[in-house]
Amino acid sequence: MGEDKRDVLQGTLDLMVLKTLETMGPQHGYGIARRIEQISEQALRLNQGTIYPALLRLRQRGWIRADWGTSENGRRARYYTLTKTGKAQIEKETESWERVAATMARFLTVQ
Amino acid sequence: MDEVSGMRRMFSRILAMFRRPALDQELDEELRSHLELAAVENQRRGMAADEAWRKALRDFGGVTQVRETVRVREGLAFAENLRRDLGYALRMLKMSPGFAAIAIGSLALGIGANTAIFSIAKQVLLDRLNVPRAGELRLFAWRSKRQSVVHSSWGDWDRTADGAGVTSTSFSYPVYQLMRKQNHELADLFAFKNLGRINVTVDGEAQVVQGDLVSGNFYDQMGVQPQLGRAIGPADDDKPGGSPVAVISDGYWTRQFNRSPLVIGKTILVNLVNVTIVGVNPRGFTGAKGTQNSPELFLPFSMQPLVFPYSTMDSLLTSDRVWWTQIMARAKPGLDEAKARAALDVALKSAVRATMTVKPNESLPDLLLTDGSRGMNESAREMARPLFVLISLVGLVVLLACANMANLLLARAAARQREMSVRMALGAGRARILRQVMTESLLLAVLGGLAGLVVGYFGRNAILAMLSSPAEPMTLPGGFDWGVFAFNAALSLVTGLLFGLGPAWQATRTQVSSALKDSAQTTTQRRRGYAGRAIVGFQVALSTLLVVMAGFFLRTVINLGRIDPGFDPRNIVLFEVRPPQSQYSGAKGTALFRQIEERLATVPGVMLVSPTSVPPLSHDYESDDFKPVGKKVAAGKEESALNTAVGDRYFATFRVPILAGRGFAPTDTETSPKVAVVNQALAKKYFPNENPIGKSFETSDPKNDKLIYQIVGVCADTRYGSLREVPPPVYYLDYRQSPEIDWGMTFAVKTRTARAGITPSLRRAVQAVDPNLPLIDVRTQEEQIEVLLMNERVFADLTTGFGVLALALACIGIYGLMAYTVSRRTNEIGIRMALGARSDQVLRMVLGEAVWMTAIGLAVGLGGALALGRVVASQLYGLKAWDPATLTAAAALLIFVALGATWVPARRAAGVDPSRALRAE
Repeated sequence: MGEDKRDVLQGTLDLMVLKTLETMGPQHGYGIARRIEQISEQALRLNQGTIYPALLRLRQRGWIRADWGTSENGRRARYYTLTKTGKAQIEKETESWERVAATMARFLTVQ
Repeated sequence: MDEVSGMRRMFSRILAMFRRPALDQELDEELRSHLELAAVENQRRGMAADEAWRKALRDFGGVTQVRETVRVREGLAFAENLRRDLGYALRMLKMSPGFAAIAIGSLALGIGANTAIFSIAKQVLLDRLNVPRAGELRLFAWRSKRQSVVHSSWGDWDRTADGAGVTSTSFSYPVYQLMRKQNHELADLFAFKNLGRINVTVDGEAQVVQGDLVSGNFYDQMGVQPQLGRAIGPADDDKPGGSPVAVISDGYWTRQFNRSPLVIGKTILVNLVNVTIVGVNPRGFTGAKGTQNSPELFLPFSMQPLVFPYSTMDSLLTSDRVWWTQIMARAKPGLDEAKARAALDVALKSAVRATMTVKPNESLPDLLLTDGSRGMNESAREMARPLFVLISLVGLVVLLACANMANLLLARAAARQREMSVRMALGAGRARILRQVMTESLLLAVLGGLAGLVVGYFGRNAILAMLSSPAEPMTLPGGFDWGVFAFNAALSLVTGLLFGLGPAWQATRTQVSSALKDSAQTTTQRRRGYAGRAIVGFQVALSTLLVVMAGFFLRTVINLGRIDPGFDPRNIVLFEVRPPQSQYSGAKGTALFRQIEERLATVPGVMLVSPTSVPPLSHDYESDDFKPVGKKVAAGKEESALNTAVGDRYFATFRVPILAGRGFAPTDTETSPKVAVVNQALAKKYFPNENPIGKSFETSDPKNDKLIYQIVGVCADTRYGSLREVPPPVYYLDYRQSPEIDWGMTFAVKTRTARAGITPSLRRAVQAVDPNLPLIDVRTQEEQIEVLLMNERVFADLTTGFGVLALALACIGIYGLMAYTVSRRTNEIGIRMALGARSDQVLRMVLGEAVWMTAIGLAVGLGGALALGRVVASQLYGLKAWDPATLTAAAALLIFVALGATWVPARRAAGVDPSRALRAE
């Protein structure tokens, strides 16, 4: 979606969000975006805005839940929490991601 | 989003638009808080305030883009959820097909019946003529308070409410012309006259059509242009007989000429006069008479003396005596109606003085300007009251259907409370559940509405068919009324939403944990019980009302059917012959009737034949002066009596006994002494305690010449125009001695065989006398009586249908409520029985509850029925509007139905096994 930055595969971003919520607990959009930036740092450049369509997608699937709360600077912010199905989903997503990664790795080594 | 097809994206965008404000607000707030958090953090790292904001925005990427993406997704999700909800709702309905069928069925019948009745009523009562700015049209009428100066009229003629005066919309042609000259208030006055049925011969085929006379400025003032050819113009209306032209209706063009453009210039015979078709009216134009159907033929007034000679007069156009012309004019914008009326009233009075001699005891007519936007609108006048009654009844049916749906939805919501609690416990949002319930209710309402559309469409046509007699087919040009349907569909949607969402709202508000425990349901049960009982009581009240009305109209039809008309209507075929006056006036007409009578008598299978100027029981009335010779008559109290001109064998044909003296004989001819037969009622009224035979009376013919007849016989009383009226005084004349019969003659043929078999030979017999004479309205006397009872029968059929429907709905309502109550109370009943209650006591308890509920509904319903009864009183026959038998029977029927509907649940309650009931919970 960003033109000058590299796009992230949709599934990848979803898994990143889920994983972030799993390790950090309930978090608002900015927090999630910062966390993903910090962890991937140079390897992946991300438009922070891209996170919102992903968050909506996950919410619609019932993997995360959104509640309004107060942020650290005293503003109203939307906090996202992992649901039960979301937790279960992480395992599945991780598994499938690892399979894709392994396949890719094999392709690259064969060449 | 590449995989999203264009269609789907558009759909979702449209859906998202409805939800935009709330969505925008939430999203915007979230994005704002994101940017703020980012900016604050940037500042903490040492950036200047605006630099911090810029970086925050840069890191975010395109705000608008994100917003748009989220929006599209949200819209898509809504569509997706809707699809899923619909699927779920369909599955739920499939799981309880009984519930679905009842809800949809009752809605369909309610909506359908209502749509059908309302579309007809709207068209008959409200629809305007299909001309530009119909609201401007004013129909002229007049009223005279006392004895009217007008003695001879052809057209509507109504007594005023007090009985002393007269109102009419008919004017004499000279009065029309004078008023037209003096009019400065309204646009140019124009005239029209419905001639009724006239004989037309097209390509050698004789047929009967409706004809209208119109003035030369009619088309111009109406603002109507023919779709083909030219209109009738002022030049056609110049001098009598000068322009034998006609414009035909779109319907006639289609039916008779197959929409061929070659019809222009075609010559047809109208009452044996050659007339050239010059134009075809646009579709939907019905002339000025009314909106229901269009006359086939429009002729200029100037043709009246030729195509429709009236009585023995040469021309009605110059007659000051006969009032027959209808006048209309357009109101100019900003017209002062009162001033215009006053000015035209002066014009009318001076025109009357100029054309007639006013006797001292006669009053001049006062002009009235009435609404002409619906034409003369005769059917509205006749049908307004029956239609209003039907509208109110069918309105009740819709209410009932909605109540039924409400009841069903309430019961269903209660039954599903557990399911909802479970779903909420599993994490479903309240909004999601409400939306789910709403989808289900809406689905029911939409399905019910669609089914109602079908019922309404066919119902409307069926009712129209029922209301049409073969003589006067009722066609409503407007087709199906979508506005009416939309109203009814909206009503069912609102009901569905209200009673679907209400309970769901309640159910989702209860604490998940407590709702799952059975004990918590007692609170909602009371609530549901109260609402349910109120609805069922309401249903019973409505059903009572409808059943009583059905009873009233059924009894009316039965009573009417039992009336002895005083003659034998079996095996009598009636038809009319209307010889053109131009060819058969005076003695020629009488001779023609004689010839036809003799011809018919020779047809095999014919037993007896008699001409009659008025067919019995056909709503036709012929009334003339009646003054017994040698009796004093108080001044101004001129008497008139009904009469009929008949043939020699009339009394034999109809099997009316001659009680004294003799009937007519072949020896009563044009030249023999003038004789009459009177009925008992007349004898009793004018010759009490005297022998009427040998007495004479005086009457007058259309030219106002005095005629004297001697009474030679007394016959039994028969019903004259309608079954409802007791036999009035009637005198009979032999048609060869009576004043001229210029309207045509009805022939009554007593046959051995069925009508269908004999009609062709009757037609051949008549056409052997004159091939240009069609048989008009061939029907049996029994069919004629049926036509008379048609409105009553349609009424009885419809109201009975409504009544049965209402009973069925009430039955479902009561059963549903009681079954629910019993299942809820199984526990309690178990305890009661464990404590020693006998099963018959339990049975009585449950039945008692239903009877109690029914009794309250009954009381309300009977009250309503008494009130409505006063409205319909005039439509009833042989019973009062508070007829105790009908009211009692209706009450008994409802109690019986209530007990029947409660019986099964009550038996179930009585059969509760205490040990099992207590263990179950």
